[in-house]
Amino acid sequence: MPSPDLLALAVTLKMAALTTVILLLIGTPLAWYLAKMTSRFKVIIEAIVALPLVLPPTVLGFYLLIAFSPQHLPGEIWQQVTGQQLAFSFSAIVIGSVLYSLPFVVQPLQKAFEQLGDSLLEAGAMLGAGTIDRFFTIVLPLTKASFITAASLGFAHTVGEFGVILMIGGNIPGETRVLSIALFDHVEAFDYAKAHILAISLLIGSMILLASVYLLNLPSRKERE
Amino acid sequence: MNLSRLYTLLLISSLLCMSTSFASNDNTDSPLRIAVAANFTPVLKELLVEFHQKTDIKTQIISGATGALFLQIKHGAPFDIFISADSVRPKLLEQQNLILIDSRKTYAIGQLALLSMNNKAQLSDLASTPKYFAIANPDIAPYGKAAKQTLQHLGLWQQYQKSLITGININQTFAQVLSQAVNSGLVANSQLVINKLAGVVIPSSYHHPIEQQLVIVKNRNNIDHAKRLSQFLLSPKIQQKIVSFGYANNAFTRQLTQQERSNAKP
Repeated sequence: MPSPDLLALAVTLKMAALTTVILLLIGTPLAWYLAKMTSRFKVIIEAIVALPLVLPPTVLGFYLLIAFSPQHLPGEIWQQVTGQQLAFSFSAIVIGSVLYSLPFVVQPLQKAFEQLGDSLLEAGAMLGAGTIDRFFTIVLPLTKASFITAASLGFAHTVGEFGVILMIGGNIPGETRVLSIALFDHVEAFDYAKAHILAISLLIGSMILLASVYLLNLPSRKERE
Repeated sequence: MNLSRLYTLLLISSLLCMSTSFASNDNTDSPLRIAVAANFTPVLKELLVEFHQKTDIKTQIISGATGALFLQIKHGAPFDIFISADSVRPKLLEQQNLILIDSRKTYAIGQLALLSMNNKAQLSDLASTPKYFAIANPDIAPYGKAAKQTLQHLGLWQQYQKSLITGININQTFAQVLSQAVNSGLVANSQLVINKLAGVVIPSSYHHPIEQQLVIVKNRNNIDHAKRLSQFLLSPKIQQKIVSFGYANNAFTRQLTQQERSNAKP
């Protein structure tokens, strides 16, 4: 049996990685759609995407808890389809994280797609490239930096998430107890030594992650000249 | 491969990953899940050492704010026993028929203490209103309610209004005083005992007893183990140990509350 804090680290990394993958899969088409949208309806969708930035996490967590509980429709449907309760499960904290970190992935991608312009894509289409081809040979290389930013922001924000997970996760070891909650538990239990160790490793880990992302995004010398 | 097919495949596979977890969901050997109010967690951990020596029951501690744990149990959290910091939430769970009948028991009586980090606190210090004074929120935290009653008892509640810094629970209040962000405050005596700090215990006649109760959650697999933990915590020897952690004597206060009840009846 690994130490409780290592278990929390494993849960955290798994949750953040999975959340980032799902966010990129959902966020890319959504950002593309928003970037190309001209209708006034666009502002409503943009506002909904940005809502998690404004809503206090515990408030979002409270309503998700109600939605996920077996007494209410979303939680009931989940239980009938999967045979497992949604609230207080690993799936619940991943869904919560996807909602909570959505703006951090969608917004940088949308900005990048807006700046991309249509001329290159039209040129590609004229040369006979299909949709997939154009995405992988034109869009992706040109917006690579934004994808890296979006993924790392989504990942980092999920690692640092606390309020939502505290509400819908139930703090269960090996299932929903993540690093931020383990850290909070140590502080609440006056176990400051363990809390300091966790806090400093979280700090160093995030620092390394963010610094390497910015290093990746640093234009190479050739590009600058 | 077609892009949309690749996309769907990726989405489905990541959704499938969601439902797997590290801990086995094997119910036959699942540990006893104890949801415990954060301010009792350090004490419980000490007591569990002996419980583990006596029994071979595996336990898992889920520490949190009483209000949040209550809400989670109401919405189906997989906790076997709930060790609350108050008696209000256990009563509510009982009314909602979510607990085992007759499992609601008082395991500890909280004591309030005055703590000041700058000087050695004295009860007479309370008379002069400090610039800031930390108490837990009287509306949601049992120790905050007792703090309000204490200040009311001393006739100081009105003049303290502008000085009060209210924490969401007693742990936050304790942290505020400990960090010296606030000069003094009313905290739980058990916090002083665990952290080996000196303070003044507030006479329990100044406020209603802070009854801390536990309940066993209904429809769980570990009810027998939960019963054994409940019996263990209520045994005379462990009750004495709990008192040594800075709680009031349970038997004495139980008599008091019974008297109060019989006084209140006519």
